Amino acid sequence: MDEQAQLTASRLPAWTLAICACALIVFLVPGLATLLVFDRAAITHGELWRLVTGNLVHLSTTHLVYDLASFLIAGTIIEQRGYRNFPILCLSAAMLIGVAVFGIAPELHFYGGISGVVTAAVTYLCLHGVSEKGTWRWLCAAMLAGLAAKFWIEIALGESLLLAVSTETFVPVPLSHLIGAITALLAFVLMRLSISTKFIKSAA
Amino acid sequence: MKRAGTSILITFAVSILFVTLFGGCATGTTKNATSVVDYLFPNTKDPVVTPGIPTLTLPLRVGIAFVPSDGSGHSRRSGVFASYQDGSPALTEKRKSNLMQEVADHFKKYPFVKDIEIIPSAYLRPGGSFANLEQIRTMYGVDVIALLSYDQVQFTDEGTLSLTYWTIVGAYVIPGEKNDTQTMLDAVVYDIPSRKMLFRAPGLSRIKGSATLVNQSEELRADSGKGFDEAAKEMIVNLDEQLTNFKVKVKERPEEFKVVNSPGYSGGSGGGSIDLLSLLLVAGLGGYFLWMSKRN
Repeated sequence: MDEQAQLTASRLPAWTLAICACALIVFLVPGLATLLVFDRAAITHGELWRLVTGNLVHLSTTHLVYDLASFLIAGTIIEQRGYRNFPILCLSAAMLIGVAVFGIAPELHFYGGISGVVTAAVTYLCLHGVSEKGTWRWLCAAMLAGLAAKFWIEIALGESLLLAVSTETFVPVPLSHLIGAITALLAFVLMRLSISTKFIKSAA
Repeated sequence: MKRAGTSILITFAVSILFVTLFGGCATGTTKNATSVVDYLFPNTKDPVVTPGIPTLTLPLRVGIAFVPSDGSGHSRRSGVFASYQDGSPALTEKRKSNLMQEVADHFKKYPFVKDIEIIPSAYLRPGGSFANLEQIRTMYGVDVIALLSYDQVQFTDEGTLSLTYWTIVGAYVIPGEKNDTQTMLDAVVYDIPSRKMLFRAPGLSRIKGSATLVNQSEELRADSGKGFDEAAKEMIVNLDEQLTNFKVKVKERPEEFKVVNSPGYSGGSGGGSIDLLSLLLVAGLGGYFLWMSKRN
């Protein structure tokens, strides 16, 4: 763990737990999902919050369990290791995914699920991980390679890997995973640039 | 002097007579209506139709049609100028088509609606019942049909300003006629194979207006059109609401409604979902992190 990470390390993964709690509440409270889901018609009529909040809505119990379990693991590691800007990453990924689905996938009238943000979190975690030492570095590198292979397969096949084994009634949206990964990459690069600039200034 | 007084008295009496003739009696009611019940159940001797369990195959192909009039629409008008009111149908084919298109455009946005077929009135026979609907199902390939019916009543009364009619000029320039147009549009959605009503939604409107005596017919037509437009808007809002309620009902009572998805149909819903492989990889990463933390 680098010095920067040590300074901001926190034992309680507060943001991860808060976001998971929100998703759980949205799933359990009747009517809340209807108010928050990505609904193309409602967004067109000005309900722009749905672009972001759609990420908190899950369409089935399996969908919720898989997404939240992944987010809980990735988010906890990020917060435990003290990687900065995690809440900003989550918010920007959620926004960009909403905008991308709205603009690029007009066939989707409804969209829900936090998997795009999960992908952003995992990518962000692994990008940080490859700059560290030991086995952790190689595990993160392998995970990044796995993610890249997954995107390539999903784009080549035109569908998600989930589709082959899932009985869900909704269509998996690989686009959200891709946007999540791109957001994480941008956030990581921007953060590194910011740190480098500060280092150069302090050295000067 | 006395003769002049008598003359004024006679003029006044004649005026009163005119006012009474023109103003007091020229009131009327026009009613135009069609009925879904008359169309679907024309013969009361028929046994009651027992609906089956509808199987809705998504995405739906929906038909939309106005039920035909059985010719019972009527008008009644009394008064000197009653003759201009002919009791013609309130809705022309063009207006029906426009209204159906308006409803169709609104519901095309739903991902579970594949097509909406606008069915001309000529394809529906008065009292055609479910046999006629089966024919339409065969012709258009629709399983669900929205049957539209209407009931419009127009009342006309004379206002105080109609006193000016006896001047003749007044009948051309003073709006002494008070019109009241009350309209109801009703949409009933039926599953044709099971003959089950899925839901219904009405739309109401009330238009109040005034007209000069000579252009009253034109004003009444305009009010009629406006009444249908407003009722259609309300009906569309109510249809949306009823559709939402119906979707809840389908989920809550699966024994009453079966919903089947066509191959490849997702309902336009997309889910950002993590697959099992990714979850296992993330869990592996988490496991290693936990082991590393404990070791340190």
